[in-house]
Amino acid sequence: MREVISLQELKRIAQVSKLELSEEELQGFFEDINNVVSRFEKLNDLDLQDISPTSHLSWSEPPFSSDEPRAGEGGEEVLKGAPQVANGYFVVPRVVDKEEKENEDRRV
Amino acid sequence: MSDFTTTIGLEVHCQLLTQAKMFCHCSTDYIGKEPNTLVCPVCLGLPGSLPVLNQKVVELALRAALALHCQILPQGVFHRKNYFYPDLPKGYQISQYDLPIGVDGFLEFYSRGVKKKVRIKRVHIEEDAGKLIHEGVFLPPGTSGVDCNRCGIPLAEVVTEPELSSPEEARDCLMMLRNIVCYLGVSDGNMEEGSLRCDANISLSSSSLLGVKVEVKNMNSFRSVYRALSYEVERQRKLLEEGKPIFQETRHWDEVKGVTVSARGKEGAEDYRYFPDPDLLPFSIKGEMIEEIKSELPELPLQREERFMTEYELSQGEAEILVQDKEIADFFEDTLRDFNEPRMVCNWITTEVFKNLKELGIDISQASITPAHLAELLKMVDKKEISGTIAKSVLEEMFATGARAREVITRRGISFISDEKELENIVREVIEKNPQSVADYLSGKEKALQFLIGQVMKETRGQADPELTKSILIKVLSSEE
Ligand SMILES: [Zn+2]
Repeated sequence: MREVISLQELKRIAQVSKLELSEEELQGFFEDINNVVSRFEKLNDLDLQDISPTSHLSWSEPPFSSDEPRAGEGGEEVLKGAPQVANGYFVVPRVVDKEEKENEDRRV
Repeated sequence: MSDFTTTIGLEVHCQLLTQAKMFCHCSTDYIGKEPNTLVCPVCLGLPGSLPVLNQKVVELALRAALALHCQILPQGVFHRKNYFYPDLPKGYQISQYDLPIGVDGFLEFYSRGVKKKVRIKRVHIEEDAGKLIHEGVFLPPGTSGVDCNRCGIPLAEVVTEPELSSPEEARDCLMMLRNIVCYLGVSDGNMEEGSLRCDANISLSSSSLLGVKVEVKNMNSFRSVYRALSYEVERQRKLLEEGKPIFQETRHWDEVKGVTVSARGKEGAEDYRYFPDPDLLPFSIKGEMIEEIKSELPELPLQREERFMTEYELSQGEAEILVQDKEIADFFEDTLRDFNEPRMVCNWITTEVFKNLKELGIDISQASITPAHLAELLKMVDKKEISGTIAKSVLEEMFATGARAREVITRRGISFISDEKELENIVREVIEKNPQSVADYLSGKEKALQFLIGQVMKETRGQADPELTKSILIKVLSSEE
């Protein structure tokens, strides 16, 4: 295994993905991810000098939709699958103050 | 006070005025709606659903980008901006990254009567998030409620270069930007309701010191933008003068306390892991579409303001007040069609009409008075058929009842006394009844004249022309000497 992603970076990736990993799991992922990512290194062998980045494989024009509102599929149907509901709201654990502010920063 | 240069840049989000959301057909009319009623699998991010771009979103964003003189990129690509928060069901926001709608534009505006120009870095489109509530409705303890009605409403984000040099300039720039999107019909620009949101970055520097950028968020009105940035200027200036460091951070404006508060603990958090959204193909923007939208751009607020200054000989300040609200500017010009006295119409609109609107708590579009009706009233004032004072009270009734000036005047039995002979008789009577005031006036007490005018008004139940009354009084009194 070649270390492409450090343990430090891996911990950060877990953090921003809101994953709590045990030491053991971290070790496991550390090896797995590095094995996978090392394979991508092979791509560096390719000569991409004159090729612009490709974000999609299909370059046909996408369909557009019209600006016509239709009745949503909201209401009870939507809330049915939620673990907890109150007064039409999805109920989630309260976002603590500090985290709330921290996350507000990332909001649009 | 040390010599620091203030540098401010703005990041403005406007909700686009589409009927349907950005990638689905849910309605965008979410204000006051029951929670989670305007949602579908797409905007809830349910597995297996696929977004399809609403064409109108591109059109509106193009309109804004073109009005801001941006260079339009031939191809748009959507990226996923990844972060976890309960109001973002998908776990990512569909946004744009390196290929926005437009880049390298500029915006011109007036600040303190001087024309300024700020460059626009980019205009891009993205989807709005939902809303979290923590109080106000019954929720189990320790929980928050999520309403996804706002999820997927289209936004245009406009980013300026950091070129604004004071909080005042930043506010004036934002006001112009708001006016532009309103004129364009791109957004309703309502800051209180959150359809227009503004973040700012601000730094202070001196010849020997490079500025440190601080982000300020949570400013919900033009006034709070001005207050928050003024607070930041002072805070940073004090720190610099005391030789203390300024941290690169995000701060939240606390409207009640009037301070900005550090949003700590965000180190390392800002990693959005942008990548092209595989669900959405790149879309191209064709030259014809750009040309078509360009040709349909309406007259913009700054052009209109400058036209008002040259065409109607209004001051920059007067023109600015009128154009700030497109409906008001339209009302002004429509009134001129029937009564071509720009300055007088401007004065009446910016004082009396505004006063009535404010008292009734309505916009001009909701008022029962029409430009033609105002013109009719002002014509009467102009011809001295009624006095300005009476016209004001007639206008009030016109606003309240929707009646026309003539109806109100007939109903109230108002007839304007502009007959000089008739007025002179009343003036003579008043003089006779108030010898003391006459003596006071003749001995040089100017105030006595006002009292005598008041008495004439009382006699005529306010129906005398005040200017005429004054001149007759002076004439008669001078012959008394
Ligand atoms: Zn939807």
